[in-house]
Amino acid sequence: MLVLQLLVSGIETGALYALTAAGFALIFGATRIFHFAHGATYALAGYAFVFASRLGLTWPLGGLLALLVAVGFGLFLEAAVYRPIQRHHGAFFTIFVAAFGVVIVVQSLIELSFGRAFVAISTPLTRAHEILPGLYIARVFWLAIVVASLVFVSLGAFLARTRAGIGLRALSENPDLLRAFGLSARRLSALAFALGSALAVPGAVLGAATTGLSPAVGAHVMLISLAASVVGGIGSLRGAALAGLLLGIVETLVVAFLDTQWSEAAGFVVLFVFILFRPSGLFGAAVAR
Amino acid sequence: MIAYLLNLAQLAAIFGLLSVSLNILIGYGGIFSVAHAVFFGLGAYAGAHVALDLAPDILLAALAAALIAGVFSALLALPALRVRGEYFVIASLGLQMLATTVFTEASDVTGGLGGLVGIPPPTLFGVSLADPLVFLLVCLGALALALAVVRLLMRGSFGRALMALRDSESAAEALGKNVPLLKTLAVLLGGAGAGIAGALFAFQEAFVNVESFTLDQSVLIMAMVIIGGAGTLAGPLIGTVLLLALPAALTFIPGLPPTDIGAVQQLIYGLAMTLLMIFRPAGLAGRRAGQR
Amino acid sequence: MSALLSMRGLTRRFGGIAAVDGVDLDLAPGIITALIGPNGAGKTTLFNLITGHLTPDAGSVALAGHMIGRRAPHHIARLGIARSFQDLRLFARMSVRDNVLCATEPASWFWQPGGKAARKARAERALAATGLEALARADAADLAYAERKFLSLARILATGARIWLLDEPASGLDPASRARFSALLRDAVADGVTICLIEHNLDIVIELADRIAFLDQGRKLAEGDPATILADPHLAAIYFGERA
Repeated sequence: MLVLQLLVSGIETGALYALTAAGFALIFGATRIFHFAHGATYALAGYAFVFASRLGLTWPLGGLLALLVAVGFGLFLEAAVYRPIQRHHGAFFTIFVAAFGVVIVVQSLIELSFGRAFVAISTPLTRAHEILPGLYIARVFWLAIVVASLVFVSLGAFLARTRAGIGLRALSENPDLLRAFGLSARRLSALAFALGSALAVPGAVLGAATTGLSPAVGAHVMLISLAASVVGGIGSLRGAALAGLLLGIVETLVVAFLDTQWSEAAGFVVLFVFILFRPSGLFGAAVAR
Repeated sequence: MIAYLLNLAQLAAIFGLLSVSLNILIGYGGIFSVAHAVFFGLGAYAGAHVALDLAPDILLAALAAALIAGVFSALLALPALRVRGEYFVIASLGLQMLATTVFTEASDVTGGLGGLVGIPPPTLFGVSLADPLVFLLVCLGALALALAVVRLLMRGSFGRALMALRDSESAAEALGKNVPLLKTLAVLLGGAGAGIAGALFAFQEAFVNVESFTLDQSVLIMAMVIIGGAGTLAGPLIGTVLLLALPAALTFIPGLPPTDIGAVQQLIYGLAMTLLMIFRPAGLAGRRAGQR
Repeated sequence: MSALLSMRGLTRRFGGIAAVDGVDLDLAPGIITALIGPNGAGKTTLFNLITGHLTPDAGSVALAGHMIGRRAPHHIARLGIARSFQDLRLFARMSVRDNVLCATEPASWFWQPGGKAARKARAERALAATGLEALARADAADLAYAERKFLSLARILATGARIWLLDEPASGLDPASRARFSALLRDAVADGVTICLIEHNLDIVIELADRIAFLDQGRKLAEGDPATILADPHLAAIYFGERA
């Protein structure tokens, strides 16, 4: 029953990772910007939610605040950090280091304003109910599954059906198509950042309500997003989502066999194996040198 | 006060060695590793064990540390040969996270969170180096040696080949450069340098534990190289001195609680990294963008 | 006339599309062969297949009768085949002199074969020949357009390679630079160097080429002396039709 219980919470974690990783993949796929600070967006959204609930706001208002913070932050980075760097040379390392700096700044700001300790907010959603003998499922599990499915279905529809969605997919590969559609690359790039950042919000809010947040959560989420992107195939949304789910499950299931300290490491063993033996990932085209 | 300054100077020399060795990878080889603290740690544990189990001879410890760190640097060379930039950064991050866990859990070797304690003061061929000033000279000597080696190598054909592959891998290949071999050598050199820094660190602190070898430490070393100026001889040293002096300087700010110093320090160097990348990507010692 | 470098049935596909499709081509020693054809004809891909930057799906490459297919690029380079890139790929953050010196040092190890003085002399000769002596200390990134093109050529000169594969080396050069460039290639050929040149500018082709191979959609449509190929109305239609 322990394995089943862990599987349940693995799926819950994985669904949220999947959303966050899909946000990263969406941004990278559309703009070719390696948005390393995506984890910082997650952390800011989570802490915005905590802040709102400390003010006594209801959770929908808190969620809205988190969404605004995430999208605003994503747009700010695109305009104030990535675009100026891309204008003069845009080397990958330069963008990576700048984004890494942002991650450090956000982490230390959170540390200064909320302290280093874990913060969590309790809601009735996290109270577990016994479904089968020995198997507890909290309502937040269903919420995570429903939210993740809904978001993925609507994201898929948006990318497949709308002009802006098709433009996003064409942005990196076929700029001619953009002109034919009368879309601006600059606005689409901003759209990619807005949407991608928004995708981090469900994970951040539900994360704040379940496992809790610490200033270092941004770095952790960033690593998971990156790992999921590689395992899924860089730039592939579907791959990132599936790999996010997989990493969440692996991370949780490992606890059945090893100490909890190994749970994060297990994800990286998966990552390492993929990088060495299948660098193109689950869905990626051949991308090794 | 003198003791404090000597201690700081020793640390500066050790971290100088670290950033100079990372500069071989990042600055000259274009191999962007965020796992340098792993090799620092391997060297520290190796040095500590030599001192605790064999003899506290600093040369022996440094050799063992360089060897262990060098051998394990293959773990970094392997992905470096297989995949390009973005992937390699992620692989090195993954290696760093794995290593932190292994350092914490393999307590038979590393002492776990408690670490290895009671490392005896260093000797050299039986002569004690326990005096802080003498030990500082040893650290500075190691740093000077590393700088001399880097300068010699980078002005020679090896350095040119390494920088060539940094600037264009395919053009370097077209001129007959064996890219996998060059990358492996660069990683090995950088790893060995970090290992030696680790052994010195073990003696300096007389204690090692995993806290010193985490992702934060790797990022700090990376920041030293980048802020100072990757690919220049002086850059990493400038970065090291600036970033090590920062926490000390912050203690003079009135009204700043000591518990917040760590966070403020991170805030400043994170901000410095981002702003430099926007306005002066080659670092303080490097050339300004577009300068002709 | 025996070929120095000969390709047989060379094929490379990307996805479903054959970028190079069963190409047979011989580079005769001591002459300039020009590869022409519309964009996407597979000219650069052919270079990549020769130099090992891409592995062929089928076919072979032989250098003086020895198979060299499927070797690593640095092995092939050390056999005396040098190439330039359309986008030059200079070592941007190295000095002009180091760019050229680097080309004289084939080993990746800490020590180089042959005398240091001889290598230095070869590098200086390459700098002098391309008129870059005065700029030797400048960073490659800081050069003007024509200077970059000459640096790319200086690197090849300095390798001492006997076969040069040049990818649009003269595009965008002003008339004076172009004359200087043509003279450099003719000198090299007079020294016995074998050159294969990708070029869009037909004036340059007419001026330099001893032989022309015409590629379209990965296939070699024709090969022969310049007068015959350039007079063929069918090829002209393909060439100019595609480019319009």
